[in-house]
Amino acid sequence: MLLLCGTAQMADLIDILVVGAGPAGGNAALAAARHGKHVVLLDEQVKPGGQIWRAKDSSILSAPQTPESSAGDALRAQITKAQIDHRGSTRIWQIERQTEGWDVHVLRDGQVERLTTKTLVLATGAHEFVQPIPGWTKPGVFGLAGATALFKQNLSPPGQRTIVSGTGPLVFFVASEICRLGGTVAAVVTPNTRRDWVAKLPALARRVDLALRGALWIVHLMMDRIPIFWGCSVVSVEGVARVESAEIQKLDANWAPKGETWSIDADSLCLGHGLIPSIEAPQLSGVTISYRSDLGGWVPDIGEDGATSVEGVFLCGDGTGIRGAAAAELHGTLAGLSAAEHLGARTAKERATLRSRFNRAARFGLAMTALSTPRPGLAMLTKPDTIVCRCESLTQTRIAQEVEVGAASTNAVKSGLRAGMGPCGGKYCQTAIARFIAMHENRPEAEIPPSAPRPPLRPVPVSALSADFDYDDLPIPKPAPL
Amino acid sequence: MTARYDIAVIGGGIMGCATALRMAEGGMRATVLDQGDLGQGASGVNAGTLSLQIKRVKLMPYALKGHHEWKAMGDAVGFRKTGGYTLAFTERESELLHERQTLKAEAGAPIEFVSNNHIRNAEPNLTQKVISASYCPEDGYANSSLTGQYYRGRLRDQGIPYRERCPVTAIAQDGAGFALDTPQGEITASRILMATGAWLKPTAAMLDVDLPVNARINTVSVTERLKPLTSTVIGHATGLLTMKQKTNGTVLIGGGWQGRGTPQEGRGQVTAGSLQPNLALAQFALPALENARIIRSWTGFEANVPDFYPLVGALPGVEGAFVLGCVRGGYTIGPYISKLMGDFILDREPELPLFDPGRNFKED
Amino acid sequence: MIRLAPDQSAQIRRTEKVEFTFDGTAIWGHAGESLAAALIRSGRLHLRDAPEDTDPRGAFCLMGLCQECLVVLEGQTVESCRIELQPGIDVTSLRYGADG
Ligand SMILES: Cc1cc2nc3c(=O)[nH]c(=O)nc-3n(C[C@H](O)[C@@H](O)[C@H](O)COP(=O)(O)OP(=O)(O)OC[C@H]3O[C@@H](n4cnc5c(N)ncnc54)[C@H](O)[C@@H]3O)c2cc1C
Ligand SMILES: Cc1cc2nc3c(=O)[nH]c(=O)nc-3n(C[C@H](O)[C@H](O)[C@H](O)COP(=O)(O)OP(=O)(O)OC[C@H]3O[C@@H](n4cnc5c(N)ncnc54)[C@H](O)[C@@H]3O)c2cc1C
Ligand code: FES
Repeated sequence: MLLLCGTAQMADLIDILVVGAGPAGGNAALAAARHGKHVVLLDEQVKPGGQIWRAKDSSILSAPQTPESSAGDALRAQITKAQIDHRGSTRIWQIERQTEGWDVHVLRDGQVERLTTKTLVLATGAHEFVQPIPGWTKPGVFGLAGATALFKQNLSPPGQRTIVSGTGPLVFFVASEICRLGGTVAAVVTPNTRRDWVAKLPALARRVDLALRGALWIVHLMMDRIPIFWGCSVVSVEGVARVESAEIQKLDANWAPKGETWSIDADSLCLGHGLIPSIEAPQLSGVTISYRSDLGGWVPDIGEDGATSVEGVFLCGDGTGIRGAAAAELHGTLAGLSAAEHLGARTAKERATLRSRFNRAARFGLAMTALSTPRPGLAMLTKPDTIVCRCESLTQTRIAQEVEVGAASTNAVKSGLRAGMGPCGGKYCQTAIARFIAMHENRPEAEIPPSAPRPPLRPVPVSALSADFDYDDLPIPKPAPL
Repeated sequence: MTARYDIAVIGGGIMGCATALRMAEGGMRATVLDQGDLGQGASGVNAGTLSLQIKRVKLMPYALKGHHEWKAMGDAVGFRKTGGYTLAFTERESELLHERQTLKAEAGAPIEFVSNNHIRNAEPNLTQKVISASYCPEDGYANSSLTGQYYRGRLRDQGIPYRERCPVTAIAQDGAGFALDTPQGEITASRILMATGAWLKPTAAMLDVDLPVNARINTVSVTERLKPLTSTVIGHATGLLTMKQKTNGTVLIGGGWQGRGTPQEGRGQVTAGSLQPNLALAQFALPALENARIIRSWTGFEANVPDFYPLVGALPGVEGAFVLGCVRGGYTIGPYISKLMGDFILDREPELPLFDPGRNFKED
Repeated sequence: MIRLAPDQSAQIRRTEKVEFTFDGTAIWGHAGESLAAALIRSGRLHLRDAPEDTDPRGAFCLMGLCQECLVVLEGQTVESCRIELQPGIDVTSLRYGADG
């Protein structure tokens, strides 16, 4: 038999390619593999785990376990045991429909590679929203969720003395982790009030384990005499070339700043205001999006068990709406089963039993999302000279001017100002800009979609794209008409 | 319902907007309608190259006039006159380059052939593999992203109402002109100009006219900011590469590589199969790109008809309807040819001949 | 101060310390951790200046998206939060527009 041993040509046809090895993608891969499908699981992180269960890096020889590290180890063990073809440090940068299935283009070890698959399960998770405040670009300010990557992967605190400011349960987790890792928390600042939390008791009662864990974080912080400022936010960051202190202010019920401010010294600040589904990969594969404030903003349109209107594309996890990790696991299993079903497996019964568990988990997750989602007043934290687009150093004033002269969409603001054309691809400015346009034009946010995502999903070195190039292979076209 | 306009322009690209401005100067009450944002089509996503070296011989007089328009628009559109080189790396390309650029020079473009020493001094970061090159001092670029912003401002200053997110979905002829269906209500006008770029075919079909318009889907990419590497517009004898480093340090790379999709589907896709050789060729020409990262690639639809000449004139068979589009190098030529279109509609004698949309399209 | 949230930092065992340089200054970190983590621990937060206004910037999202933690390693622009620290590497901060 003659085998073609080319490089890119060799790509064999995968049954189910899962993008994202978090709770959702990891479980999707496991479910599909149980049904005998040839599964490949890709993630840009080195090891499976996703954001919540991010694995330790190789500098850690041993360390006390946490609920996150244990759950992550369990998922990683299952993936190993099921002999799933997991490829870490692999970034997806483009997805292309082919006549049969999909080409997925990845970057790994500085080289590009093409994978071909019959179906896709996209479980790309979320990234965070940070309302721009004066000084938030200073070194020493970290995303609140992002900081947890430092805890889980590197087991390091973000500084010597940290202020933790943000919405939802994450502030308390972050503060407690900083203490655990030997850092000092100068203050915990959260727009939520104790009453906001009391209102969520019915949802919390559904997950007593998690509720207790949260309560313990708070008790610990109080015993440690760490000030917790409820109904407040950090409103500006001071310091020359790095965080030296932060101003804190009370917020009203709408989360607009009001009344006294005071200052606290710190060398670092963790700041975050909820999560945004990462929808770019689904969009590149042709899935349409809708606005759902209860799910964290713009989400891909999905049907039951992660199916979409694009044949062969299934979605799951926080990338379809911020329902939290417990829901993501179940959603992943459902989507993995749907994909297997699409390829001939019989999974209807199994899915039916999972669906109600998923819905229950989602209800709890969405209650936490509701606590984390910014209220409209929070936008007032952004001042005229606050940088909104970090990549291009564009202030709110510049954006306001552009909107005033008629740019009425994120795309128009992007074209006119470059807001969203920076290396992050707009991931850290488009949401704030869309909200600003909506407010300014008095239109619902649902009318201001983010600008269309452009490949590559992550920056790709030219050297990777041009490898193997032979000048003589250039397909010289018919010369253009003279 | 709003009062009847003298003319409704369908399509707010460079052609539609620039023609509306000309007609308003001539005293007409015009309005511009776009299905999305002004300049969201080819006019806002193209590579922005203003190069005489890649213009068709017969269009050279229009391109030369176009360059004057861009110069006048200046900073507001990011205009830079940098001069430009077209490179040949093989004997065959060299022949092609000489043959084609000689004809273009005869048509009036100030193109000269330069020595290898000259190009090494002028662009020291280019590969040493150049075997011959042509140079045109008139060449440069503008920032096509600014098209929407620029024309929004110009239309507003001239008091020309425009509507965005306003697709025209049907056109009816009434006794006094045309009634256009849009989600923002019916709009009536005595005349209409179709300037819908790659969407001209479905637009004309609304009046049962068949225009043989096809679309190419061109790919453009941009790097992150880099230290200064090149200061002119770089092209390749085959046309497979255009490249320029913007003042902010990013390098914009095009060359007509084809993506996938159709204007009807509304979305074009970048294909890795086109992107890779496009960027490899860029790195071949400018080796320092090796260390650069691509942060964004996109596509746009460029319309053409079988003879690759423009459509500028009356829509065949429909009194009061006009069409403008399918201009090769339409970003460069657009601001000028739109003036000719405006003059024609204003019943003035255009300075240069138009291109009859009712002609017999034979492949050139 | 009573610590109910126990400080477990002493129980964490890491690979031995190794040296690397950032803009010529020697810094230590643990082999295998992310470059960003080592830089943050050493107090080197300011990794680059924003290109438009030279606003000082450093690591922000820590998940490989925001591109704020870019540094230069062996001529390539890299995300320091995604680079594994190896002994002896020479890292420089990213400067735009500068010739050289
Ligand atoms: C930074 C961060 C930290 C968080 N920490 C916590 C926490 O501590 N506790 C908690 O309850 N919730 C946390 N969350 C919420 C979190 O999203 C969980 O709800 C859960 O991780 C969701 O699971 P998932 O599988 O849907 O997505 P994720 O766990 O986010 O998994 C998605 C995976 O996709 C990968 N990926 C995305 N795009 C690409 C690409 N282009 N190429 C290759 N791989 C890609 C990512 O690397 C990631 O591993 C965090 C969220 C974020 C953004
Ligand atoms: C990727 C690319 C690179 C290019 N590079 C160059 C270059 O470097 N130099 C150069 O000179 N030329 C270049 N060109 C060519 C140039 O961009 C075009 O010739 C020119 O922009 C065409 O302008 P237009 O106004 O005819 O079309 P467009 O700009 O496409 O405008 C048409 C408008 O009509 C709107 N529309 C469509 N249907 C409807 C409807 N039913 N109702 C309302 N509105 C509608 C669309 O939304 C669109 O805004 C390039 C083209 C592309 C695609
Ligand atoms: S923050 Fe606006 S493009 Fe990155």
